Amino acid sequence: MDRKNFIATLLPLTAASNAIGIATGFNETPLSAIKKIPPYLKKGDTIGITCPAGYITAAEIEPAVHTLKEWGYTVKIGNTVGKRDGTFGGTDEERKNDVQQLLDDENIKAILFARGGYGVVRIIDAINFKKFIANPKWLIGFSDITILHSHIHQLFGIATVHAKMCNSFIKDWSIAEPTQIESIQSIQQCINGTTMQYNAPFNSSNKLGKATGILVGGNLKTIESLSGSKSDITTHGKILFVEDTGEYLYSIDRMFWNLKRSGKLNELAGLIIGGFKIKKEESDSEAFGKTLEQIVLEKISNAKFPVCFDFAVGHQKNNMALKCGVKHQLTVTANHTTLKEII
Amino acid sequence: MIKFPPYLKKGDCIGITCPAGYMPKEKANTCIETLQQWGLQVMVGKTLGSSATNYFSGTDEQRLHELQAMLDDESINAILCGRGGYGVGRIIDQLDFTTFKKKPKWIIGYSDITVLHAHIFNQYKIATLHAPMAAAFNQGGASNIYIQYIHKALFGKKVKYTSAAHTYNQLGIAQGELVGGNLTLLTNIIGTKSDINTRNKILFIEDVGEYIYGIDRMLYQLKRSGKLATLKGLIIGQFTDIKDTDRPFGKTVYEAINDVVKEYTYPICFAYPISHSNENIAIKVGGTYELKVGKKTVQLLEV
Repeated sequence: MDRKNFIATLLPLTAASNAIGIATGFNETPLSAIKKIPPYLKKGDTIGITCPAGYITAAEIEPAVHTLKEWGYTVKIGNTVGKRDGTFGGTDEERKNDVQQLLDDENIKAILFARGGYGVVRIIDAINFKKFIANPKWLIGFSDITILHSHIHQLFGIATVHAKMCNSFIKDWSIAEPTQIESIQSIQQCINGTTMQYNAPFNSSNKLGKATGILVGGNLKTIESLSGSKSDITTHGKILFVEDTGEYLYSIDRMFWNLKRSGKLNELAGLIIGGFKIKKEESDSEAFGKTLEQIVLEKISNAKFPVCFDFAVGHQKNNMALKCGVKHQLTVTANHTTLKEII
Repeated sequence: MIKFPPYLKKGDCIGITCPAGYMPKEKANTCIETLQQWGLQVMVGKTLGSSATNYFSGTDEQRLHELQAMLDDESINAILCGRGGYGVGRIIDQLDFTTFKKKPKWIIGYSDITVLHAHIFNQYKIATLHAPMAAAFNQGGASNIYIQYIHKALFGKKVKYTSAAHTYNQLGIAQGELVGGNLTLLTNIIGTKSDINTRNKILFIEDVGEYIYGIDRMLYQLKRSGKLATLKGLIIGQFTDIKDTDRPFGKTVYEAINDVVKEYTYPICFAYPISHSNENIAIKVGGTYELKVGKKTVQLLEV
């Protein structure tokens, strides 16, 4: 471990521990003793649901509750479900308290976030992770939840699940598309301990190769917005995946420049480009003049690591559950791409 | 210490280049005429009114080479960016500031040009001018007070800016170097070598066309990256053409900003005339200013 990474990963935790430790007198969990992989779930275990960002109604989470129960889990619905404060699922205080309660409750083995939107950054620094570090549990979500993935990976090294949330569960399985079904079922596989493996189609812009590294990433805009904060991820030696929705190409370009200029693309093991729902320019004269593939590849023209496009992650039906903070192998060949979890 | 480029005098030459978005030549005509009326010679780069057919005023190479040439050409005494848009971040790391460092000249612009202001301030400690660009001259040319401010700044006259009070203002007096610009760009360069250290500075921010939640997120980024805690003062410029989501944010943009910054005890003013609207004063990034936020007015004075 080089000195820069050492400082980046250790210092914030020490600072956090001090603040908590002095106040409570408890012994803190040493960094080396943190369980990096939360216990997998077995039938009968409880999954909590909460809204740390945007608001959602009780009716809207019904399909998720139903499916989780069908999978054999018990569901505990947090009290932010059905709450609303502006765009948020309750006030900052209410959302923080709900997350805190579910994190601290030892009977809850996983937390499925109801939806993304915007709001986690407003409460992240108020959340106390002490009990979570001592007894990690699976946290599941994406988009705005990228903040939790980054924060927890960077500061505690604990694995999380990047996946669809309650608002994307299937109401009517008889008319659901196979990729949608596969995406939802992959959540169960992730938390029940299945060793994950994913395939992606060939894209002519892919850069071939094989790499092994810890998987990190999420929503590109959110990753950019963490730059300079203690939740900011270091990507050295890791496989980075990014996705985004509703952004103009120029804005996506600007975000990739942030990644490049902040050193996040320098020493990657591999790069996975998920779905990008691109907002169209208002007129042809505003056309950006570069494709997503060109935007990405020009930033890493000297890179030796494998790169794949069109991976099934993003604000789309095929959004496979991925274990962040867990070692994976990425193989990009002239035929197809595989990503597999390495035990 | 901050180095100030020499102020302009009659007969000096000002270059116009477009390092970011495309701009038709005719939109700069009033600007060129006004600069000539001020007694300046005007050197117009090929990126202004270029034959580019896409978003940019030229390829990265064309934009880079023209800005580089104007930075290096000793007969050019100041560079006015034709417009912002997007594109400086694509060429900034390839610019060579060796000659500019030895012989600084005023670089003028805002919005996407924030990247140049921040980069030059952070890397070379040379002052730049945050001010309206070519199209702003079309609103009345030399008779427009905000255009006159550019003239005063470039020719070395200090101006005391006085503006209206705002409900959320936090009263007080602060003195410090002024840094800042477009909020989206200021946050976009965090973590890069263009990023500014804001300790003991007066920070100014403005933005256009963003969602309220997006502004809120950027304010949180400033806060969480340590850029707000040790300021001397904060100038919230105007946030124009602000959008809201289908599920409304629940606060106005200034309410949202106020909620993030009200915990600080330094003077803060809101809706200040630094913006993408017509009200956009000329201020020197790197200049030392006194900010007086009073009950009835806000004053900003270069010291």
